[in-house]
Amino acid sequence: MANMIMASSKTLITSPPAPKTPPTLTLPLISKPLKFSPKTLSFTLATTLATTLAATPLPSLAEEFEKAQLFDFDLTLPIIAAEFLFLMFTLDKLYYSPLGSFMDKRDAEIKEKLSSVKDTSAEVKQLEEQAAAVMRAARAEISAALNQMKKETAAEVDAKLAEGRKKVEAELQEALLQLEKQKEDTIKSLDSQIAALSQEIVNKVLPVQ
Amino acid sequence: MNVLSCSINTLNGLYDLSGVEVGQHFYWKIGGFQVHGQVLITSWVVIAILLGSAALAVRNPQTIPTGGQNFFEYVLEFIRDVSKTQIGEEYGPWVPFIGTMFLFIFVSNWSGALLPWKLIQLPHGELAAPTNDINTTVALALLTSVAYFYAGLSKKGLSYFGKYIQPTPILLPINILEDFTKPLSLSFRLFGNILADELVVVVLVSLVPSVVPIPVMFLGLFTSGIQALIFATLAAAYIGESMEGHH
Repeated sequence: MANMIMASSKTLITSPPAPKTPPTLTLPLISKPLKFSPKTLSFTLATTLATTLAATPLPSLAEEFEKAQLFDFDLTLPIIAAEFLFLMFTLDKLYYSPLGSFMDKRDAEIKEKLSSVKDTSAEVKQLEEQAAAVMRAARAEISAALNQMKKETAAEVDAKLAEGRKKVEAELQEALLQLEKQKEDTIKSLDSQIAALSQEIVNKVLPVQ
Repeated sequence: MNVLSCSINTLNGLYDLSGVEVGQHFYWKIGGFQVHGQVLITSWVVIAILLGSAALAVRNPQTIPTGGQNFFEYVLEFIRDVSKTQIGEEYGPWVPFIGTMFLFIFVSNWSGALLPWKLIQLPHGELAAPTNDINTTVALALLTSVAYFYAGLSKKGLSYFGKYIQPTPILLPINILEDFTKPLSLSFRLFGNILADELVVVVLVSLVPSVVPIPVMFLGLFTSGIQALIFATLAAAYIGESMEGHH
């Protein structure tokens, strides 16, 4: 139906006498219309001579428009198919494969980086634990050393203290001993003097006798 | 007579303005076969755009993407996502097929809407989106069929054909019919949508000059993207379907 409409419309386009005849004449470039062109030419000439414009162009153009088809299969079909296959392979080489592999590689890289970041968080934890352990060990060591040092100095101090005490005691003992001795000496010497002194006292108290 | 020619001239002017040409092809001849030149030209432009931009953006990939590389990475992620949802874990080898399907159709559709093809005059026919031509869409649909057959056969060997009598042999005709309806629906959906979109825009432009067609044009851009996505998704779904184990 559309075909018919278009055909009739086309009739009107190509029908005008002077300007539109050249196109119909140039059509012979194409192979098939070649058969019709002499006929067309004669027809148009005849029509221009007779000036019966309305009626005559129809048959010639009807012939031409029988070829005007929507469903006109020819070699275009396999050529387009071949072009499509060519386009497919070339685009694959140019576009899909290189860019696709590039994108996949980048995805893998990003994923790897992300997972490595997660890994480092575990690593960081481990390191922190290690650091804590080291700190703990160091602290224990320090406190041990401190304790030992304290103990050592305390022992030393004790020893010195004991020594000093011993010395002092010894000295005290000696001094006491000396004192005792002196006391005894004095008592002894006093003992010897006591008789004289008591005699003297007696003499003094009892002088008259 | 005068009145008639005059009216024809004005009508002619109108049609020149609208420039509706459907089913007109710029024929080339290659080895005795005809080809649609306008389709090939536009498809070359589309391929050049795709290859050029991809090569430019992915030439030297950076770890932190910027600009073009960013965009192309987004597109690749999108394609991979589509393939993965439809095909499953073994989507890897199919990314180029699905991706090229999507990109080719998408850029083709948008080129039809955005590139000023009409500025280039052809002797016959006109430049438009390559997906505007049934040959392109059928070629892509047939490639999809080949792809899902290849996927199934390479995955399961000849036991792939066991799916035709699943779940019951009664469904054999319907299952065989499916292999024909799949490419048919794929190709005609895309073809019809793009052609209709272009026609609507052209007819509206011819009827109402400036402002009114603009929303329709945006709708066309939207439809074009959706169609590309649908085609790629369905292709991936068919491939995934033929690869998955039937019980």
